[in-house]
Amino acid sequence: MLKLFEHNTLNVNDINKDQTAVEVKNLSLWFGNKQVLNDISMRIPRNKITALIGQSGCGKSTLISCFNRLNDLYDGCKYEGEIIIDERNINSRKVNVSRLRTNVGMVFQRPNPFPMSIYENVCYGLKLQGVKIRRHLDDAVEGALKQAALWDEVKDRLFESAHALSGGQQQRLVIARALALKPDILLLDEPTSALDPLTTLFIEELMDALKKQCTIIIVTHNMQQAARVSDYTAFFHQGRLIEYADSDTLFTMPEKKQTEDYITGRYG
Amino acid sequence: MVNRTTFGISAVQRQSLVISLTAFFTSLLLIALVSVLILISFRGTAYFWPEPIYMVTGTHHDGTTFSVLANVFDEPANEDVTLKYSDTEHPYGFQIQLSREEIDTSLLANESAEIKLLDGRRVLAIPEHIVVPSKPPQTLDKIDAIIEDVAQISAQIEELNTRHLASIHEALSQFDKRDVVADAPARERLVASFKEYQKRVEVLEKTRAEYTLSVSFADGAPFIIPISSIQDVDFVSRLSTFEKWKVVLSEVGVFLSDSPKQANTSGGVFPALFGTILMVFLMTIIVTPFGVLAAIYLSEYAPNTALTTIIRVSVSNMAGVPSIVYGVFGLGFFVYTLGGSIDELLFSETLPAPTMGSPGVFWAALTMAILTLPVVIVATEEGLRRVPEGLKAGSYALGATKIETIVRTVLPIASPGIMTGVILAIARAAGEVAPLMLVGAVKFAPTLPIDGEFPYLHLDRQFMHLGVLIYDGAFHSQTDGKSASMMFAACLLLLVVVFVLNILAVVLRARLRKRYLKG
Repeated sequence: MLKLFEHNTLNVNDINKDQTAVEVKNLSLWFGNKQVLNDISMRIPRNKITALIGQSGCGKSTLISCFNRLNDLYDGCKYEGEIIIDERNINSRKVNVSRLRTNVGMVFQRPNPFPMSIYENVCYGLKLQGVKIRRHLDDAVEGALKQAALWDEVKDRLFESAHALSGGQQQRLVIARALALKPDILLLDEPTSALDPLTTLFIEELMDALKKQCTIIIVTHNMQQAARVSDYTAFFHQGRLIEYADSDTLFTMPEKKQTEDYITGRYG
Repeated sequence: MVNRTTFGISAVQRQSLVISLTAFFTSLLLIALVSVLILISFRGTAYFWPEPIYMVTGTHHDGTTFSVLANVFDEPANEDVTLKYSDTEHPYGFQIQLSREEIDTSLLANESAEIKLLDGRRVLAIPEHIVVPSKPPQTLDKIDAIIEDVAQISAQIEELNTRHLASIHEALSQFDKRDVVADAPARERLVASFKEYQKRVEVLEKTRAEYTLSVSFADGAPFIIPISSIQDVDFVSRLSTFEKWKVVLSEVGVFLSDSPKQANTSGGVFPALFGTILMVFLMTIIVTPFGVLAAIYLSEYAPNTALTTIIRVSVSNMAGVPSIVYGVFGLGFFVYTLGGSIDELLFSETLPAPTMGSPGVFWAALTMAILTLPVVIVATEEGLRRVPEGLKAGSYALGATKIETIVRTVLPIASPGIMTGVILAIARAAGEVAPLMLVGAVKFAPTLPIDGEFPYLHLDRQFMHLGVLIYDGAFHSQTDGKSASMMFAACLLLLVVVFVLNILAVVLRARLRKRYLKG
């Protein structure tokens, strides 16, 4: 029911350069001596929802953290290979990481609103970029909260603490916070794992609405969720990309035995 | 259930034994704390409480009789009775101890009053009447109004002295410097006006001297006190409880606003309170940025190596170094080396008289900052560690750099921890004595470190400190009970200062916590 725009889903091998939001080329990554990602290559299509699935520790969260270079925060993290976003290899040392991160938004597993007002949370990123004019900030806050379907619930208490919101509202606030920067790509790292089923459904609907504006990459443990919301799904196992296909194919006729075992719940 | 009748102690009994032992030691601790508080509050407030005056007559063991007006301190536990009395020989008070059989009668003297003088001394006597110039003697109920009148005359004299006479004197000394001849007209005019003002002062002083209070002692001997030297007259023996509390309040007011008198045994403690607060304030300004920046480096930037661990351990250990060591360091390094170099560079024209090269309030604040630095660093690091990683990641994910993340997210959330450190530092500095005596705190400072003279804040001046005042008072108290109670009052004040600072901090910290942490 959610997938009204499904008719133009392509085979992953047919995604051309113009349709690609993120191109991963031979990416390997180590934490210290431990190899976490092993020679991953894939093209993630623009304005689609791509789900990354796999067991805990298979490297899928690490992979999306590569897309905004958040792994740089950890000591002893090394990587090689290329990640092309907007025709630039973001793994290059010359990349302005701050600017990259404003273009590639991220939402974490646990809602992490800052201990400030709702308003301050949403304009945190804009203020970092030096936006000071009150009217611009007001407009951006309203726009982002509307996109995140939170505006009606909080418009009367924008200056109250974000911690007074419920878990689901906090997660949408965090999404609004990322959307305020108008990112091209939105990374969702298990965004609903801490939420109840109804709120989860709400966020899923939100994702579907958002893919018109940005490419969404979601890490999830929930197979039904991946099947429900995503256009493409990639299955990872022990740091390797095992299978990558449009979601219908992957969940109905997986090519690899490993994938089939995982999605049918035989292990993992 | 275990059989309770076996030899030894059953498990249940063992447990209750442990509980009672721990409870016992906790209660010991509580008793110690409460008795400190009770002692200090009781002895401290006693300093302000007006003691009734008794007419005491008796016969000494050698047969001589006496009759005095006295405060009587008769504690059943002591063998002797302490009298603080005034008589012709000792009009300003004297203290003796008598055995009970030496005292014949002791009657509440309703007519007598405690006459507090501006210099801090007290006279216990029976006021008779007030002498004012060119009027018949006035009754005692006018005493407050007359004291006020005389205070105005004193203010006039003070103004003539400081404004007019001092400036003429200054002008004359300028003439002397320029070798202006003695009979130059300008000079003569000045001398004339100087004499004119001097005459006015003399007239005023003469008038002032005519206002007196006639009093008599227990044996009827008369005594005359100039009104200009009186601060207050209290008929303590006939005060109601409510009026006594009013006296207490005014005494507390004097205690907080006046300077110490009679070698720190009476009067107020204002300069010490002021000096303590100023020093603590300066120290806070110095130690907070230093401590917070160091803690940020240690917890956010320093690589996780053995060297960092060594530094961290050393910082914690610095908190245990005896404070006198910091005092010696402050004297040797800050005062002599640093201050001496500053003098050579900037104030060389006044050498060998030191400007910054002598102990002063700035060096004291700097020394205390070094002393309390570990407390601030450790508490701040603790606060920084408590910032959830998820929030930092959230900030980075929005494009914030490390420094932006620290300033906008980490520091606000760590602010309750930082506050805790600063408060501990303040409490420590407010109560420290030994190092301060080496680097600038003195028993008596003639001037405050802040006044109307340029540059208004005199960082090079020595200052008074409550702790040092108490230390000084404790030495006096071995011979004189009165100064002991002044010491206790100062102790009480110090406790109140530290308590108020702590309460402020706790409230502030709670508000910051509520604002920045989940709740």
